[in-house]
Amino acid sequence: MSALLEVRHVTYDYSGNTVLNSVGFSAEGGEFVVLMGVNGAGKSTLLDILAGLRNPNSGEILLRGRALHAWTARERSRRVSHLPQATRHDLPFTVEQMVLMGRYVHADRWFESDEDRAYAEDAMRRMDCLQFRDRLYSTLSGGEQQRVLLAACMVQCPDLMLFDEPATYLDVHQQLQCFSTLAGLAREGALCIAVTHDLNLALAHSSRALILHQGKITADFLTPEASANSEWLKWLSPRLHMTSTPEGNPWVLYR
Amino acid sequence: MGALSMTTARSYGWIWGSAVVFLLAGLLLPWVGSGSISVERVMARQPPDYPIFVQLRVSRTVLGLLAGGALSLTGSLFQSMLRDSLATPYTLGVSAGAALGAVLTIALGFGSILGVPATWAGALAGAATVVAIVAGASWKRGQLSGVRLLLSGIALNSICTAFILLINSVVREHRAFSIVQWLLGSVDSVGYGVLFAFAIVVLVTSVAIITQARSWNLLAVGEAWAGSRGVDLRRLMTMGFLCGSVLTAGAIALTGPIGFVGLIVPHLVRSRISPDNRILMPCSLLLGGVLVAACDTLGRIVLAPAELPAGAVMAILGGPYLVWLVRRRF
Repeated sequence: MSALLEVRHVTYDYSGNTVLNSVGFSAEGGEFVVLMGVNGAGKSTLLDILAGLRNPNSGEILLRGRALHAWTARERSRRVSHLPQATRHDLPFTVEQMVLMGRYVHADRWFESDEDRAYAEDAMRRMDCLQFRDRLYSTLSGGEQQRVLLAACMVQCPDLMLFDEPATYLDVHQQLQCFSTLAGLAREGALCIAVTHDLNLALAHSSRALILHQGKITADFLTPEASANSEWLKWLSPRLHMTSTPEGNPWVLYR
Repeated sequence: MGALSMTTARSYGWIWGSAVVFLLAGLLLPWVGSGSISVERVMARQPPDYPIFVQLRVSRTVLGLLAGGALSLTGSLFQSMLRDSLATPYTLGVSAGAALGAVLTIALGFGSILGVPATWAGALAGAATVVAIVAGASWKRGQLSGVRLLLSGIALNSICTAFILLINSVVREHRAFSIVQWLLGSVDSVGYGVLFAFAIVVLVTSVAIITQARSWNLLAVGEAWAGSRGVDLRRLMTMGFLCGSVLTAGAIALTGPIGFVGLIVPHLVRSRISPDNRILMPCSLLLGGVLVAACDTLGRIVLAPAELPAGAVMAILGGPYLVWLVRRRF
């Protein structure tokens, strides 16, 4: 039985610069992997490649044992969802229309079926945005918009969910809610991979961390064991110091 | 459940409603004009009413319906493709290219080229040239970049407009008059052969565009959003730009640059009916056609026996709407 996701020697060049240099790892459903690294380390690029939005120059990605490029765009979209870093602020669509777009990959009819609408309603309820289903997406706050986008990813019913800095524009409470939701989705069986800069948020919620530095994976560890060898902090900043919370969970101090 | 299926029923209601308005416009507008036409004499095929009705009024109405629909659908298409609410065939330079081509043929005094009236051949050539240049400048890493399209489109729009002014100031007076006349945008009667060919072009490209409505919705949100939801971006962008250009070139070639329809109708439908391209696009096509045909009819009767070009009527109605839109949305 092959892993849900297997990344082998992925290399990506962008106008002469090597952004990703022979990146490899494999992951299973149920894992919540955080992808961390300094700006320009190649995190978003790796996420785009996993989503099929960019093609690597060499190497291959296997999804359920089958090469990613061998899936058609539609087949791929039923298994992989991608939460973009930002959306336009003046989108003309309502909340429900945005969420229903996630069902396009499953439906062939012109308008959505009642089943699609039921999926959307369920996802909106879970993401606590059902109450503004008929409002314009552009009139919502940043946190509310993020919940709508998460609901749109959920209705795709994917095995692999990719999130590009999902908590960036959110207030502290919304950040916590967002990461709990991602952890919950992983517990239900999906493989969640999120790019993030917030170390403690990541350590508290994820099951595994990958550190990307200059296009290479320089550390790969299970988050409960993050403090066992805190060498990996140097790839992020020299001003970090590993401690632990009173409950014994890893906690990073900023100096 | 009941309320939800109502939404779909209402969506179809808007589309079919627009289709009914379109058909009614086609049936009723030819009867309106500066001279009155008797129904009995048309039915009895008696001159002069019958030839006026068939050769002038009907063909003119049909042309207005088709050209208005083509420009309006293209507006809604470009707005989704470029995620820019002011993107139209004008912003992309396609109509300026078509206009320059047509003006050039008027200035050179060509009557017809290869049996086709010269302004049409010129407009098609001009639009095709601009599409080639703009697409060439915007092709980046295997796909069309929206920002580049818009920027190079605006640049080409300015260049073409400058050349039109240049040509207009160096040609002799009677030709300058013809140029101005054409630039105002008028819906003149054309032969049924041309009309039929244009109808086929509009039908084929509209079907190609509208059947991709769900993909245009996704693209309107963002390229990553669309790419991770089953859309082949490169193929879709290329298809959209080509279809939009063919529709624009055809419409401009036959009517002259009728402004604003590509802006007013999609925005009106988006805010009053639905931003969902599955409803927005068919309604824009149908109602855009109705608006141009109605403006043309209005232009024929308000100053009768003089005629106000449809483009001018549209600008008088469309200008204030644009100002209102700018005030409300930006």
